[in-house]
Amino acid sequence: MFICEDISFDIDGQKLFTNINLNLKPQKDLLITGPSGVGKTTLLSILCGLQKPTNGSIIYNDIDLYNLAENEIDNFRGKNLGIVFQNFNLINSFTVKQNLEIAANAIGNKSSDQYFNLLDRIGLADKSHIKVANLSIGEKQRLAVARAFVGEPQWIFCDEPTSSLDDKNANIIANLIKEESSRCEASLVLITHDSRIQTLINFSEILRLGEEL
Amino acid sequence: MIVGITIITVSILVNQITKETFSKNNPGLDAVVGAKGSPLQLILSSIHHIDIPTGNISYQNAKKIIKHPAIKSAIPISLGDNFQNFRIVGTNKSFLKLYKANLNSGTSWSKPMQAVIGHNVSKVTKLNINKFFVGSHGLIDTGDIHAEQPYKVVGVLNKTGTILDNLILTSLDSVWNLHSDENKGKLEITSLLLKYKNKTSAFSFPRLINKGTNMQAASPSFEISKLLKLTGNAHKIVDYLSMFIILLSFIGVLFTLLNNINERKYDLAILRTLGFSRLKLFSIILSEGMIISIVGSTFGLIFGYLIYESTHYFSIVGRSIELGQLNFLNDLFLIWMTVNIIAFITCLIPCIKVYKQNIRTTLLNS
Repeated sequence: MFICEDISFDIDGQKLFTNINLNLKPQKDLLITGPSGVGKTTLLSILCGLQKPTNGSIIYNDIDLYNLAENEIDNFRGKNLGIVFQNFNLINSFTVKQNLEIAANAIGNKSSDQYFNLLDRIGLADKSHIKVANLSIGEKQRLAVARAFVGEPQWIFCDEPTSSLDDKNANIIANLIKEESSRCEASLVLITHDSRIQTLINFSEILRLGEEL
Repeated sequence: MIVGITIITVSILVNQITKETFSKNNPGLDAVVGAKGSPLQLILSSIHHIDIPTGNISYQNAKKIIKHPAIKSAIPISLGDNFQNFRIVGTNKSFLKLYKANLNSGTSWSKPMQAVIGHNVSKVTKLNINKFFVGSHGLIDTGDIHAEQPYKVVGVLNKTGTILDNLILTSLDSVWNLHSDENKGKLEITSLLLKYKNKTSAFSFPRLINKGTNMQAASPSFEISKLLKLTGNAHKIVDYLSMFIILLSFIGVLFTLLNNINERKYDLAILRTLGFSRLKLFSIILSEGMIISIVGSTFGLIFGYLIYESTHYFSIVGRSIELGQLNFLNDLFLIWMTVNIIAFITCLIPCIKVYKQNIRTTLLNS
């Protein structure tokens, strides 16, 4: 269970959003949408423990995220949350495989079989030793998605995973997210203003952020 | 850091070697009586066999000193010749007892032109029992040899770790025989190595010799401590220089780490999003800095020690330095520890920077 209670966030005294409440049941998917500048990415950062909200609390299975110490938040995020950032946030100097390994290492998972299966599923098995800097945008996005699923998290957060992709690649990424979420039995929280995504994934809940303000 | 630690290691070793060599070469002698001149030169030439003697003294006068009531023991030495730069010392058999020297093979000399050679002399010149050699005039090899009167090696000494290892010992008569033309009937020696019956004579006896005769009495401990004080100042300058280099290396490590962190701050923020805690990143950065420091300081010690070992090798050839026990290890370990403790404190600066990093701001700014 994932619950947000009265989340508000201020920037320089200006309210970006207020009183956001969410209640997401296990294996249910949530779409957060809205126009640019309404704070979608900021909300995702708050939900992932990367940015403390001005008010409100975020509860994962009875654990109040911001009541934890910062080191505990980092540990909780590594073990329970998978994040796909809009700009991928991959380590460019690392190879494809190393990016997955470091993610597994962060949570103390040393099994290498898992990477090969994952790389195979995202179609990058033959590029495992290539540096990320040399991948195409579509390949980077696939790797970013794969990395989010390395620890088989309970919750997956995706920030605009298809917005920079053409239809073909958007379709691949959406299917990948859908399949991996289903395989891990994870709840998906996806932020986008890309209308194509709604035709590719069936969300159980939708939060229209601009309309809340 | 490697350069700094190497210099400081060599400085410690040289300091140690100097002190140890001077200490080991003096088997408890209280005074040396010789011709007037520099007292330090007299000590260095008569005990440590480094410098040239101040001149000769009359053996007749020396015998009066030997019989003086304040003197417990007196050993005459006469220098003047060498073999392949190893000094030939005319003396009596008490000289061997003074250094507690034992014969490895052969016997002591029993008549003129027989010689007992030190361990290093035998090793370098390949001289051995029953072999003959001819001495060269002077204390360094000039080629001006006493071809008509060769020495016969009758004994080889065990290693003593003292200057004795680098000496060729013979009777006073041998030296007098070779230099009979120069002596013109008057027997001379270079100096007398003295031990007092009572240590209080250290004040009165030198005054008696220095004022009442044309000779001088010099105290080995006093002269060597003066010399060590002078060289000690030089060591201090070298030590300050090496500390400055080490300080520069700390600044280098600090800026390398800070620069490294600055270049990798985006990657470090990514690692936080993946679940690496601030504490874990703190320890990773600290480990990186400490690896640089530990490897650098250890290599510095190794290079310094290699220089020490090279000195040891060349000391056999150069004869003037004899290395002993590794008493300096405590000092080196202390320096190694100090350097790494300071490195640890230096590394905390970039580590704290990483610890305080705001992930979201870093990722947004990237």
